[in-house]
Amino acid sequence: MSKARKALAEAREIKNPELDLVDKGIHSFEELPGLFNMLNITRLTLSHNRIKDIPPSIAYLVNLEILTLFNNQIEELPVSISSLPKLRILNVGMNRLDSLPRGFGALPVLEVLDLTYNNLNENSLPGNFFMLETLRALYLGDNDFEVLPPEIGQLKNLQILVLRENDLIDVPKEIGELTRLRELHIQANRLTVLPPEIGNLDLVGSKSILKMDFNPWVTPIADQLQVGISHVIDYIRSETYRYLYNRHISTRGPPPPKVNDKSRKISRIKQQG
Amino acid sequence: MNERKPDDSPLPPSELLSLDHSQLYMRRKLTSSDSNLSVYNFDLLSDENPHIPEDNAPLQGSFSSIVDTYNNLEYTPNSITVDMSQKTCSHCKDGFSNEKIVNTNGELWHTQCFVCAQCFRPFPEGIYYEFEGRKYCEHDFQVLFAPYCGKCGEFVIGRVIKAMNANWHPKCFCCEMCNKQLADYGFIRNQGRALCHDCNAQVKAVGLGKHVCHKCHGVIDEKPLRFRGEVYHAYHFNCTACGTELKSDAREVKSRPGLLANDVNELYCLRCHDKMGIPICGACRRPIEERVVTALGKHWHVEHFVCAKCEKPFLGHRHYEKKGLAYCETHYHQLFGNLCFVCNQVIQVDVFTALNKAWCVHHFACSICDQKLNQKTKFYECDEKPVCKKCNDKFPAEFKRRLRKAHQYTPQRAPV
Repeated sequence: MSKARKALAEAREIKNPELDLVDKGIHSFEELPGLFNMLNITRLTLSHNRIKDIPPSIAYLVNLEILTLFNNQIEELPVSISSLPKLRILNVGMNRLDSLPRGFGALPVLEVLDLTYNNLNENSLPGNFFMLETLRALYLGDNDFEVLPPEIGQLKNLQILVLRENDLIDVPKEIGELTRLRELHIQANRLTVLPPEIGNLDLVGSKSILKMDFNPWVTPIADQLQVGISHVIDYIRSETYRYLYNRHISTRGPPPPKVNDKSRKISRIKQQG
Repeated sequence: MNERKPDDSPLPPSELLSLDHSQLYMRRKLTSSDSNLSVYNFDLLSDENPHIPEDNAPLQGSFSSIVDTYNNLEYTPNSITVDMSQKTCSHCKDGFSNEKIVNTNGELWHTQCFVCAQCFRPFPEGIYYEFEGRKYCEHDFQVLFAPYCGKCGEFVIGRVIKAMNANWHPKCFCCEMCNKQLADYGFIRNQGRALCHDCNAQVKAVGLGKHVCHKCHGVIDEKPLRFRGEVYHAYHFNCTACGTELKSDAREVKSRPGLLANDVNELYCLRCHDKMGIPICGACRRPIEERVVTALGKHWHVEHFVCAKCEKPFLGHRHYEKKGLAYCETHYHQLFGNLCFVCNQVIQVDVFTALNKAWCVHHFACSICDQKLNQKTKFYECDEKPVCKKCNDKFPAEFKRRLRKAHQYTPQRAPV
């Protein structure tokens, strides 16, 4: 009996609703017979395996609240995943996603979505993605976004937004509508300016985090950043900056070149067989 | 207002009467003074009663006296025995032969000549009205000369009220707001309406945005005193305890518990009220008569003790205090951050705080493999989420390199 089957049997025996199948060398859900009959499970963790496909039957697990699939080889998610009625935390980080399924935004109670380290960009998101109103944390670090859609402003409950190491040229002004945002990671992108509306947010308090290093900032922002994040925000809130920003937007040339070398990312490597 | 009664001298005009305004009255007054204008009751002299006593005693069959509306004289007709050959009819000037004649007020008439000047018919029940030397039956007199009521449109018989450019029955001339009869009280013209004094004061006060005292009906210029559902001048009342005259800051003390209406409410001056020890609500500054909530060193109406964020009353539920303000459980934790990052619920007992987040003790786990962590476990950070050593070791080399680079650049964010 494989390690995976053993763990499965054990969980079934003690009726454990939380199923840990981490680093079990699993290639496919076929190695987990009867899993989709275990309707009582609330958490399924399958990190560090070699899974390529998620079968649509995942939707049978109607009590699932936490699904962790970190570090697998998943290329796409089934459309049926959006019908999981209780799914609150979905972690598909470090996979090979280059799109999200149609209707993904219909997940009714999704709170934390981790899509770190995939191959996603602004065109990968389904039309209803920004209807995920319950979302409080969105992890999009290590992806290929050049533009953040302005609909981001609809995610009113968002507290954490991570866009580390993408190819972002711009941050939309609608980000100023995310009044509950207290964590913003935009380091290592191609950003030169920030919209003045970002000054509406509380990103410099003791309960807040703003990470913005490794961007080709315009000189005044880069200078303030040397002194500290709070100086950057103070400066962005000033009339001087508003003027500079408007002038910059109307006269700026082509965007800075991409600098992040992604060729070695494991999300890019296509497996044989 | 113009009034005359048969047996009264005209009443002195009140301030709102003006006899001079009545043309009809002036005409009649003129006539009555020089021609004894009257309504007469008269009699037919009959052959069957040739012997009429001289002493003006009422004859059998004479008409009972009828109170006339417009005239102040009432005559008892007499039968007079005179030498008919010398007399002539007041109307046609012919003499009388042996026939019935009419005698009224010293004038003699052929019966066929004693008719209404308008319709030429005998006077019904013998009542006629004389005006400018002509006699009319009641109907024609009214049609020609009598005023009709501005409200009901009927002729006004008896007392005529002249006001608001029209005539009225006393019963019909009423205050347009409260419908009180105005005839004996006088009225005030207000924007084309006849109002009684009280209603007029009210309208005026409302127009000025002021209250009208429920007691004296005067306008209240200063702050009104509210008492048992009405407004008053404060000076009409005295403090229930010390008896001093009240000012508008006086307090109405509601009935004792169990008593419903406010008709047992009492008024107290501010000083006596304070001495009674009735708690004041910290929100609305009004006394609290019902349940009192004591919190944050103040008293509150139950429904006024609310969350500083959502403003919903706690209604006995647990509240959280911070910097002199009270919050409901949800908003306290939302604002002051003790919601678990995993379950998003209020953390009940012990809190793990790290990476700008909080966790229930049993929810603190590696963000990648969901293995539980405790305060002694060494963990790494990636995007401000905890990563156990095992998972960190499994990261691809290129990723670890990038993480290292970022951490070196901002050394204050090195692994915890």
